[in-house]
Amino acid sequence: MISVKKNIFRFINFCLLSLVVIIFVYANNFQSSAIAANEKHFYGPGDNKQGYESIDYVTNTLDLQKRVGKQADLLEFYRNPPLGLPPAPVPAYNPLTEEKVSLGRILFFDRRLSINDTFSCAICHIPEQGFTNNEIQTAIGVEGRSGKRNAPTVYNSGYLKMMFHDGREDSLEQQVWAPFLARNEMANPSIGYVINKIKAIPDYDGLFEKAFDGRGPTMETVGMALASYQRTLNAADSPFDRWHFGKQQDAVSESVKRGFEVFTGKGQCSVCHLIHEDYALFADNQLHNTGLGYETSMGSNSTTTRVQLAPGVFADLDNKIIRSVSKAKLNDVGRYEVTENPNDRWKFLTPMLRNVALTAPYMHDGSMQSLREVMEFYNQGGVENELLSPLIKPLDLSDQEIDDVIEFLKSLTGSNIGTLVADAFAAPIGNISKDDPNWAHDNQIK
Amino acid sequence: MKKKAVSKAKWIQSIATSACVLVASVVGFQSTAMADETCMSPYMAKIVGQEDYVYVWTLGVEGMGDGQDKLVTMSVNPNADSYGKVVNVLSVGGRNEAHHSGLTDDRKYLFAGGLDSNKIFVFDVATNPAKPTLHKVITDFVEKTGGMVGPHTFYALPGRVMVTALSNNVDHGGRTGMAEYTNEGEFIAAHWNPTDEDLRGAEKVGNVADGYGYDIRALPRRNVMVTSSFTGWSNYMMDFGQMLGDPEAMKRFGNTAIVWDLHTRKPKKVFEVPGAPLEIRCAWGSQNNYCFTTTALTSKIWLIYEDEEGEWQAKDVAEIGDPSKVPLPVDISITADDQGLWVQTFLDGKTRFFDISDPFNPVQKYEHVIGEQVNMISQSWDGKRAYFTSSLLGNWDKTGEADEQYFKLFTWNGKKLSHEFTVDFYELKLGRAHQMRFGAYSLYSQKPNSDGTMLSQTK
Ligand code: HEC
Ligand code: HEC
Repeated sequence: MISVKKNIFRFINFCLLSLVVIIFVYANNFQSSAIAANEKHFYGPGDNKQGYESIDYVTNTLDLQKRVGKQADLLEFYRNPPLGLPPAPVPAYNPLTEEKVSLGRILFFDRRLSINDTFSCAICHIPEQGFTNNEIQTAIGVEGRSGKRNAPTVYNSGYLKMMFHDGREDSLEQQVWAPFLARNEMANPSIGYVINKIKAIPDYDGLFEKAFDGRGPTMETVGMALASYQRTLNAADSPFDRWHFGKQQDAVSESVKRGFEVFTGKGQCSVCHLIHEDYALFADNQLHNTGLGYETSMGSNSTTTRVQLAPGVFADLDNKIIRSVSKAKLNDVGRYEVTENPNDRWKFLTPMLRNVALTAPYMHDGSMQSLREVMEFYNQGGVENELLSPLIKPLDLSDQEIDDVIEFLKSLTGSNIGTLVADAFAAPIGNISKDDPNWAHDNQIK
Repeated sequence: MKKKAVSKAKWIQSIATSACVLVASVVGFQSTAMADETCMSPYMAKIVGQEDYVYVWTLGVEGMGDGQDKLVTMSVNPNADSYGKVVNVLSVGGRNEAHHSGLTDDRKYLFAGGLDSNKIFVFDVATNPAKPTLHKVITDFVEKTGGMVGPHTFYALPGRVMVTALSNNVDHGGRTGMAEYTNEGEFIAAHWNPTDEDLRGAEKVGNVADGYGYDIRALPRRNVMVTSSFTGWSNYMMDFGQMLGDPEAMKRFGNTAIVWDLHTRKPKKVFEVPGAPLEIRCAWGSQNNYCFTTTALTSKIWLIYEDEEGEWQAKDVAEIGDPSKVPLPVDISITADDQGLWVQTFLDGKTRFFDISDPFNPVQKYEHVIGEQVNMISQSWDGKRAYFTSSLLGNWDKTGEADEQYFKLFTWNGKKLSHEFTVDFYELKLGRAHQMRFGAYSLYSQKPNSDGTMLSQTK
């Protein structure tokens, strides 16, 4: 009797449990299928221009109204960095908290934090474009002012010991003030202007105080919040990581495995793009002269430029015409601009190569559109100049070897990219509204 | 020639059979309210005869004068003492990338947009046509539209203003849409352009559905709206020379024209029109069911027309200059009798007159260098006066000596242009002269006092 009762009880219990499991699985499936539908939005510009060189180009344009996301537990990517990353560093004075991350996430997408309410960090670091901008070589800021450098990704930026292509900054907390104040980025007239604007925007009411023990927006807390958000954007556990660190043999193709051999062997890549025993950042915290900067500064000017006018339609435009509609081109001497040491001319910081398939165009000036172009550049030994790094020399790689390295580079895309981009899509975009400070709301022009 | 006669006959036939009601209503419409400077909405009140003022939406230049955008009022009635002079300057604050402007159907308000700041300045041009005032500034265009950036064309529908956009607030690229406002500047609705992922019921006729936007015109009698496509913020704000040298950026130009249902605002057909089709000008004649557009990069005139079966089609019908030299056709203007099309090519500073009596076969008949650079044209309804301005975009205009900024009047006798006057916008420290709209006392049954104030105004 007792055992029958017990069995019935067990049976009911089992039924309830399975019901819960079924509901759980179903709900989970439902959620992940909502994300799956958006999957194609996460890995490149929604305005897809692949094949644009050809007259037969066919659009596959994604719709902005379907660019929707889902908030994620970002802190988890900091606490347990995905496979292949080391423990995430954080300065003692700015421990990571949920409140700071969520505040930093709001700031990152706020277009009001520029002089004319048009520029957020995310306008140059676009989530689905690898948190960079795939659509232009070098960044354009407020009023269309030209920058001379390509916007790097902010994925894994928490691991950077030096920031910017010339390595001139060393903390994420401080870094934010460069774009806030640069005339060709967000063009805010002063630090106080930014702080006071944030104080006057109702969306921030109480958020700083909550995240910083009662402290409101200050030069420090703004930097700390943005740094905290960026420290969660850790993207790894790529096919390469699963194979190399996770010892999962079938995680990558044979081509990737051969590419890895070239990368760490004949290609000499890992001399600068380091791979450690139990993690890899593919960078060395060093600056090197590969000759690219030298060539742009010193190379001779051609007389025509090939310009694409439409799919499959090109023209060779006389450079005189191009000059007639150009402002003076900005020169870039690299690390020298920080140290003023002539030995540092045209040295640039070694970038991390994680997620590199998502971050075209490449190099400090975005001058290379594809990984193939990058490989051809290395294979020819960079560009000869008196300061060329001795680590850069002609490689004599075969086409097969080049293809393999490219496959290897493509295997560095993190498995949590979708989650991070979906989270970014779910973040509110700070557009100016009637509640925000602006003299023009009340239309009082005499 | 023969082909044209045939197709015309067929049009007449098709209209007679299928749209006589519409034709009748249009005829009635024409005798009362239609007609205006030739590129405006047919829903708009018209200026009879001589215009008194031209409002020039002018870009401020950093380091020049007060450095901000302004509405400059030019006096253009030869009978006025102030003829050929600036009579009013209204600075609006900021360099907003002042670009296009458009009047409400009653011509009470002039909407003028900032492609960069996304502000829309609504000027009252009716109370005193000599001295527009700022009625309202719309500051929340991006917020209200759910993310459109770069308010471009302001096109009058009855009691409404359609505002096309150029970009969006997530990638500053070309995917965008258009918004609908009341004449008072209250937001009504946003209509996003069709894309591959969501064609919104439209048919993708060619290979492309890029979602880009630029200009808009309507052919009410055919219940049709047509839009064109340019490029996103990153490109239209970028240094022009830098952009030409950036192969990624050059992939981001519009290659589409869209035919919409005017009443439902639903897209019907997405046509492939490669190379950035910009301005759209629809014919006026009650049987001329077509619009022209020109492609900036590929230098072609395209005809968007309704065929014998009542289907809308798009076809390239002529080249402009030597396309391999990229002369960059920008603004265009159709004559009131649908016989001629003015086309400005920015880089060689020329205006070109095409005979479009056969819309399928435009033929260039005349060209004239207006300046080092030229963009906009506005012609009077009778076609005798043509005003030109110089600026294309703040960062696309020529640099150095060649950066002439002017407002010029020419007269046209059907054979050649004769220069009447030039106002140098840099000498006056005004800035870059862009779009022009006309004002006239006759519109508001008003006459000026000798000092320019209104009779109706008490002093
Ligand atoms: C106008 C475009 C633009 C805006 C806006 C912008 N950035 Fe950047 N960002 C860049 C460019 C370009 C660089 C490289 C600059 C250099 O090397 O001198 C960069 C570099 C960085 C880096 C260093 C990455 C590395 O690998 O060295 C970080 C981190 C960063 N930005 C974060 C931000 C944050 C946070 C904001 C908002 C407060 C922001 N950016 C706003 C364009 C932009
Ligand atoms: C001497 C050190 C060094 C070596 C060896 C080296 N790199 Fe680099 N790599 C750099 C530096 C420095 C940059 C940045 C250069 C610039 O911005 O102009 C860079 C940039 C890159 C980039 C572009 C990343 C981006 O986001 O723009 C890729 C891809 C790359 N390297 C791959 C490789 C491969 C593959 C090899 C081997 C064939 C290699 N590197 C060898 C130092 C090195």
